[in-house]
Amino acid sequence: MRKEKLIVLIMIPILSFPGMLQAKDALSSPLKVVEPISMEPRRLALETAGAFENDGFRIRDWEWRGALSKGIPAFLQVTLFAGENYWFVAASPTTGALLRVTVYDASGKPVKSEFWHNAANSEGTRSATGVAPTQSGKYFIGVEGMKSPNEGPLDFSLVYCYK
Amino acid sequence: MLTGRHFGVLALMAIGCHGAESMDPSTAPMTEPQKQSAVFLDALSVPSPGEVFTALNKACRPNWATLVTPATAPVTTERSQLALAVGVLTANGYVAVEAQDGQQVKNVGRELMALSKSLGVSQSLIGRGNSLMEFAENNDWDSLADELEATENEIKNTMVEQKDRDLVTLTSAAAWLRGLEVSTDVILASDSLQGAGVLYQPELARRIVSQIDALPDRIKRGALVTAVKQSLETTASLLENQDSKPDTKSDILRKNYTKIHADCSAVVKTILSSSSAALPASHSPAPSSNPSKS
Repeated sequence: MRKEKLIVLIMIPILSFPGMLQAKDALSSPLKVVEPISMEPRRLALETAGAFENDGFRIRDWEWRGALSKGIPAFLQVTLFAGENYWFVAASPTTGALLRVTVYDASGKPVKSEFWHNAANSEGTRSATGVAPTQSGKYFIGVEGMKSPNEGPLDFSLVYCYK
Repeated sequence: MLTGRHFGVLALMAIGCHGAESMDPSTAPMTEPQKQSAVFLDALSVPSPGEVFTALNKACRPNWATLVTPATAPVTTERSQLALAVGVLTANGYVAVEAQDGQQVKNVGRELMALSKSLGVSQSLIGRGNSLMEFAENNDWDSLADELEATENEIKNTMVEQKDRDLVTLTSAAAWLRGLEVSTDVILASDSLQGAGVLYQPELARRIVSQIDALPDRIKRGALVTAVKQSLETTASLLENQDSKPDTKSDILRKNYTKIHADCSAVVKTILSSSSAALPASHSPAPSSNPSKS
């Protein structure tokens, strides 16, 4: 997947989240719209995750992609292992926006985490959250657009890495 | 513009300077509807075998060389079985990477290419196969692990493109099942069941079962898919049983893990068997047996 072209044409389904689009489910859903999807969020997310790769983390070969409406977080279910370290990296090409990535345990409580986000004047917006779970099991990753210079939805891509 | 390397250095510096462990006090807990609406993506929500094995490496010191098994794809035209075999062989590839057995990784690569050809998804995978061979030649283990996951995902992606999305569920389920077989083998080899916590994933087993339940009848009623589902259900029940008894004695835990291992072994063996089409629909995994300790 990392060798995909930067721009691909895919069909876009509407997911259960209002205003959220899920590219990976595209081909199994009824055709709604056909428009180009930018790979820029993924490129930025992978570029940021590359910093962790240099530190011995391994990046999962997939992304969670979507579009966030202001104030409406989106959630992904993941399985994490006790003793592992994880960084979840979200990025959007919208400069001046702010993304928040939060890790929740199976009961929905936020997990003690490390946070990082890029400087305001750099390309796009990128945020990362690191956790070291003490219990293996189900967790949720929440991504929320905290602010955006534009009115429309905020495209994002989330990747994660572990070691 | 910053290059990835430059940005990486900056990012790590930033984390080093401002990354004190903290929790944003303004973050509210998730609501029940939010939990219910969470997205589940096969390729991210189900941990890769490599991720499971990394966790095991931290919990104990598996002797990976003893866990390498010959990689042979089944000779069959049954697409469900082929999809399941992709998952099993990918997991075998990770075991070979952990064991740093280059020849075995090459064998897995060849068999994966053969499977993808049988599934009609091989066109875009020739480059992946060549990369696997090249990395194995050069003992580039990190790149091999990455390439194995990329190869599995590319096969799944092509299945989706070819309107065979249902097969993706089977590939993920089989990879997880083979990972479970290997992991229980590792855990049972330890007198104190080191690493048992890694496997405590009853909800994931239940989730994969529900995904299998959602498959079309023509797929889910197949004997092999039924056996996979039964094995996952048994695993979930045994792990949930542990949950309700936090003081579970180690002999009960050992019995549970032995049963999970035996079930998974029986199903994995059948997936890779060329005669599994003859498996009766009422197939149930073999009774408990003592796995060999490595």
